Amino acid sequence: MSRFSLSHFASALVALAVLAPVAVLVVLALGADVDLRGETVRLVANTLGVTVLTVMGAVAIGVPMALATAHCNLPRRRLWLALLAAPLAVPSYIGAFAYFAAFGTGGEIETLTGAAVPAVRGFGGTALVMTLYTYPFVMLATRAALSQLDGRTVEAARSLGATLPVVLLRIVLPRVRSGIAGGALLVALYAMSDFATPAILGLDTFIRSIYVEYNAFGLARAALLSLQLLALVAFVLLLESRVGVEREAAQEKLEITLGPRARTVLMAFMLVVLAASLLLPALVFGVWLWRDGAGGFDPWLAWNSAYPALLAALVTVFVALPVAHAAVRGKVGRWLERIATLGFGIPGIVMGTALLYVGLQLDFLYQTVALLVLGYVLRFLPLAVGPVRNCVARLDANLLAAARNLGASPFEAFTRVSVPLLLPGAIAGGALVFLEAMRELPITLLLRPTGLETLTTELWQVYEAGYFGRAAVPGLLLIAISSVALVFMLSGEDRLTTRKASRGI
Amino acid sequence: MRRRALLRALALLGPATAFARPLRAFADPSAGEPASVDTLPRLSGELTLYLGRGEGGLYEDIIAAIEKRNPDLELRIRRGPSTALANTLVAESRVGRLRADLFWSIDASSLGLVTRQVEPPAIPASLRDLLKPGFRYEHWVPISGRFRTIPYNPQKLNVAELPQDVMMLPESDARFGWAPAYGAFQSFITAMRLLEGDDATGAWLEAMAGKSSEFAGEFGVVMAVSRGEVDLGFANHYYTLRLKQGRPDAEVELAFTQNDAGCLLNASGIAVLRPSELATDFVRHLLTSEVQSYLAREAYEVPLMAGVPSPEGLPPIGELKPPQVDLERLGDLQPTLRLLRQTGVL
Repeated sequence: MSRFSLSHFASALVALAVLAPVAVLVVLALGADVDLRGETVRLVANTLGVTVLTVMGAVAIGVPMALATAHCNLPRRRLWLALLAAPLAVPSYIGAFAYFAAFGTGGEIETLTGAAVPAVRGFGGTALVMTLYTYPFVMLATRAALSQLDGRTVEAARSLGATLPVVLLRIVLPRVRSGIAGGALLVALYAMSDFATPAILGLDTFIRSIYVEYNAFGLARAALLSLQLLALVAFVLLLESRVGVEREAAQEKLEITLGPRARTVLMAFMLVVLAASLLLPALVFGVWLWRDGAGGFDPWLAWNSAYPALLAALVTVFVALPVAHAAVRGKVGRWLERIATLGFGIPGIVMGTALLYVGLQLDFLYQTVALLVLGYVLRFLPLAVGPVRNCVARLDANLLAAARNLGASPFEAFTRVSVPLLLPGAIAGGALVFLEAMRELPITLLLRPTGLETLTTELWQVYEAGYFGRAAVPGLLLIAISSVALVFMLSGEDRLTTRKASRGI
Repeated sequence: MRRRALLRALALLGPATAFARPLRAFADPSAGEPASVDTLPRLSGELTLYLGRGEGGLYEDIIAAIEKRNPDLELRIRRGPSTALANTLVAESRVGRLRADLFWSIDASSLGLVTRQVEPPAIPASLRDLLKPGFRYEHWVPISGRFRTIPYNPQKLNVAELPQDVMMLPESDARFGWAPAYGAFQSFITAMRLLEGDDATGAWLEAMAGKSSEFAGEFGVVMAVSRGEVDLGFANHYYTLRLKQGRPDAEVELAFTQNDAGCLLNASGIAVLRPSELATDFVRHLLTSEVQSYLAREAYEVPLMAGVPSPEGLPPIGELKPPQVDLERLGDLQPTLRLLRQTGVL
């Protein structure tokens, strides 16, 4: 096996494509001076602080949820999984605004029930709300890592007298460390690049300064601030790179049998998480719908949202394959993958602006679905690379050689060995990209073809004007479509895993 | 519902009903009264419109009504935040690839940027003359106005105790709510700079900073006032009127200062980037009595033409005393940001 392959070449191309927007930023930032008067220290502290807190919260919720939905004796695990992943379909400004409006003196909760509740604001509030809408990243990544765990080691530990908590802490968690870290990295990048949540809940972070400059027509200064934020992102990527990867061949699926009391506690926890992340915004928007009435609504918006997101999911998975392939083959590939990961840390408005300048140089791309999809792909690529990489790692060259020795044609070896091994990761990664693209706003606003309105642009429009009642229908529809897509993709993934197991691969 | 109402209005509303409550302040003899849409030629051809924000579909209803009346008009609309569209237009014009015929912005500062950097051709005098003299700009046409207001909570505050001068507000011991990252607030501070100078504005910001809570947007400010979280705030007038549309019993009323930035009358407006008879006639449609009264009635926007009823919930426009400010200069935001940062407000 040569050290540098075709996938290295392709991966390098992808890394270059991700760096192109960064180059545009550098050009735009030339000659800018930002006098933040020592503000930078505070912004860095706020940004990093809220990122660390969000990551901790997302791990605290995501890891138990991964164990519960994949390996515990709970009824209807697939339904739980779909519901618990659904917060990924809620746009951050919708979740944040629901919390802003529901809590605090005179908030909806107090108005409706008379119970005084504290406001959800500032540092803690931002971390809480971001946690609720990012923990599924950790849950899904941990779940994927858990599926590769050999259940027999757990059985061995149990038979030697270890209690369940000890087994979880000392046997299970250390071996899915890299999965958790992969999910946590996505959470961190999200927390650093999300604008709406800190803005609505009143926390001053880096990205707010970027927006203020952009809106005051200080494009050069916005670009310079973006580059400073990217330096922070690079620092976080470096931290993640220090978490090692361990692999083992799963022989038997891990199963955890819980007693009735533990099951009740776990299910109560899951219900609380769902109530906080899905039910509360649904109720708040429902109240507004009932109070203000719905406006007219064009059902085509749903299709306009879905098809660019679907295209983005397909292209991203396709692009993720060589990146993942190169990444499991050594150091150079790992570094190329990290560069590709940078995209998820570039705030949408920055990525959108940079690609707008690229698009203006390539007139055939400007204001086309192709450019919009390119924006989604560059930004959401890391969401697909993670799951795909886990599958590529299992794709042993010997397996293909064995298939060929048994008389399979290269095509047959590909379709009967490679594809079944890659599909679960491709589906899981594609699903994540689809969900993120569905709820994405700033890139969509900047790059979409003129006249293409989507559910999120509609939500933005009514939200900005203060017509919250009208946000209810597109908001609920966005969550519904994403959830249905999620159920399809998760059940597809399950079926593939089951078939694979029955074939004994 | 609304759309049907407007279609009916465009079909049935004669000028007679639209003139029920004339505006004294804007009843200027030199400004022509708005024509009915029936007097305008039918539009046909292709137009690309960059539309800032769009007010939750209200502008869309207007456009739908115009499209329905002019089946041969092919309108391509790009919606976005006004500032993002202005930045886009500047980028487009730099490489000579302007895609829009018209730019309809919700704030004058975005129009100011486009006027300076894209340099659209002058507006035909026939269009300009339709507006009140103070609102005749060379490169764009104001469509509707928005007042800066002081929303206050009547449970917490007696309006009679409020100074009528925005510069005196720091002497009050009330708690304020504001949205310093929000464009409309920055326009307000820019107007204050132009009227009172940078030093007085800096001192005002410094004095207010200790008394004010920060919110992301001005709807948030108005909500905080109505819940009693703050006593009063700074916001465009229509946020309060729209909040009260949904909850008529909300505890928030509007106060106005006089002849200062606190009651600035800012404007949304439209620039013609690629001139044509069609583009001019489209703008003419927005200045008809039907569209103007619809904007006032449904979006609570202040009409800038004579003879159109003002929005419900605002005092008679003649009683309000907005300052004289060149709205195009509101786009000069960088010195404002500098002040906001120096005083620790941003």
